[in-house]
Amino acid sequence: MGASKSTLLPLEEEQSICSETGFTSKQLRRLYIRFQELGKRNPTCGYLTREELLDIREVSLNPLGQRLVDVIIEDYGEANKINFKQFATVLAQFRRGKSITDLNTKEKKLLFLFSIYDRNHDSKIDRHELLGILKMMVGGNIHDEQIATIADHTIEELDSDGDLTITFEEFCKTLAKIDVDEKMSMKFLN
Amino acid sequence: MITTAQVFTIISIICAPMVGIAALVLTLAALNLSLGIRRLYVQLLALIFDYATKIKRDKEISIDSNGSSDEPPTPLPPSTAKNKLAPTLEKKNEDNPVEVTSTTQLLNDCKDEINNENESDSLPIQEQKVSRASSQSDIQFKLGDIIDYTRQGLEAIVDDDVTKRFTSAEEMVVWNLLTRTQQQHEYFSMRVTLLWFLGFCVRYFILFPFRLFLFILGVVWMLGSAVFLQYFPAKDAKLRFGFYINIVLHRILSRVFSAIITIHNTEHRAKCGSICVANHTSPIDVIILSTDNSFSMIGQQQGGFFGMVQRTLSQTANHIWFERSEAKDRHMVAEKMREHIQAHNNLPILIFPEGTCINNTSVMMFKKGCFEITEATIYPVAIKYDNRFGDAFWNSTKHELFQYLILMMTSWAIVVDVYYLPPMTIEEGETSVDFARRVKAAIAKQGGFVDLEWDGGLKRALPKADYKAEEQRKFYEMLKTE
Repeated sequence: MGASKSTLLPLEEEQSICSETGFTSKQLRRLYIRFQELGKRNPTCGYLTREELLDIREVSLNPLGQRLVDVIIEDYGEANKINFKQFATVLAQFRRGKSITDLNTKEKKLLFLFSIYDRNHDSKIDRHELLGILKMMVGGNIHDEQIATIADHTIEELDSDGDLTITFEEFCKTLAKIDVDEKMSMKFLN
Repeated sequence: MITTAQVFTIISIICAPMVGIAALVLTLAALNLSLGIRRLYVQLLALIFDYATKIKRDKEISIDSNGSSDEPPTPLPPSTAKNKLAPTLEKKNEDNPVEVTSTTQLLNDCKDEINNENESDSLPIQEQKVSRASSQSDIQFKLGDIIDYTRQGLEAIVDDDVTKRFTSAEEMVVWNLLTRTQQQHEYFSMRVTLLWFLGFCVRYFILFPFRLFLFILGVVWMLGSAVFLQYFPAKDAKLRFGFYINIVLHRILSRVFSAIITIHNTEHRAKCGSICVANHTSPIDVIILSTDNSFSMIGQQQGGFFGMVQRTLSQTANHIWFERSEAKDRHMVAEKMREHIQAHNNLPILIFPEGTCINNTSVMMFKKGCFEITEATIYPVAIKYDNRFGDAFWNSTKHELFQYLILMMTSWAIVVDVYYLPPMTIEEGETSVDFARRVKAAIAKQGGFVDLEWDGGLKRALPKADYKAEEQRKFYEMLKTE
């Protein structure tokens, strides 16, 4: 009794996704099984929905879980769902290994992290967006006024051009000393 | 035209070996002997599997030789045939599609490590930390603080610990010629397909009917013995006979699944008037444990066929069956158990505290119910299956019980190691939850399982909201200490 009786990924599709994402065929097949496992309530539709991703226990317990799923579905999927190719593409950005395609670069990782904050896609993190993230991370442990103060101070420190928002360049500058590539890389086993 | 005489001769020719086998099995079961046929069979199978996997691997290497792989293919484990029945742990590293480089268990105390990581990274960014004389707190938030949660979330999407425990363990290093265990059915070579087909025929047309016959034999034995015991006057003798009859029954049943059971530490076999606790992987667990010892079962009184089975079993031993209405009342259940234990010649009660079947790679949270009975001695048992010859895990969301039994009866064999552990009792000042955890840790250690705190109920339900609140609180604490 092995994993669910999964259908196979058609060979051409597998090869095309492999060449675009940089995964090996074994890694991709394994991901495909995972994709089907996650979508097993609706096995034939070939998409994952927000709910299915949030069904993963560790994701729903993660304070940023909901936001992460939002980013994945909205920025990489369409119409509130994500198909396998898009799923593989978003995960390929975090693949540890040499950069065969230009997907798993440090820049892409930074963009992803930026988009966790920036939900209106105006390439800036404003106070409201920062507040949103802070609230998610600390929950009810800090009062709203305190959170607001923290947000204001953070913007004050990092905003170099005085528009009271954090642009992508300012974002990258503040993360410059952190090895984002290393911290956000995952090794996909065969 | 066939005469009746010829018909009779034909029937007797067919029946004679069957009767002969039945008699043989019964004798072996009663005397607890084994011809060793099953073990030889299993060793032969191991050799065949190695051969098939070698062919598969050679094929794969030639196909993948152009593809860029990040790591070389894992080498074939050295001669598994020599290993006899030792479980292959090589496949452990195949479990995770993502190699987790940093801790991912959200509820671990390893968060402290992440704290330290953050600290060392933030030191060069000291210049950004505004020392606040005014503010009520020294809480600083850096934009990079989302990195760890984001990565953990992504890792969980690729693979998470809980789902992993409720699906069958993944692709094995050595393929055991069952299509059900292969991730994709690819055509490797004529030889392998031929082997598989041969295996299929053997399993479905030779082994299966034979096992079915044994199963019927077992049922007949059970019913027969129930009727027999009814007419037994003396209570004590009845119980003693019941004990042996039960063991014989289960030995017959274990042959139905071609179970090869190795029991370790028989000096710690559960005694009368105690509670026996084990990890749960499949309904067959009961049969396996019962080949060596007789237990009192505990459970809800069902209707229909199973209810009849329950009533029949009650003839041979004292089981604890509840009415559904009583089951909800935990106190009443505990009372019944206490009574049962205190009557000294009652059989040990068998309980699976996980509450559901787990896939034998880990042990999940033990429900504290039976650990609350402080007078009881607990005999823990670790049951470890060897997946090479048949995966015993019952995924109840995927297979019905009947389907599962058919799958079991058409597998090669069930190879299992049973470890009896020394008895444990609750200590001074220990809560039942702590005691449960202690027993669980002992079982996990013996069986080489991962010890998880997740609730087995998560198979069907969503986690509680306060776990998330706990995570948020931890993050807050972390912010404060920076």
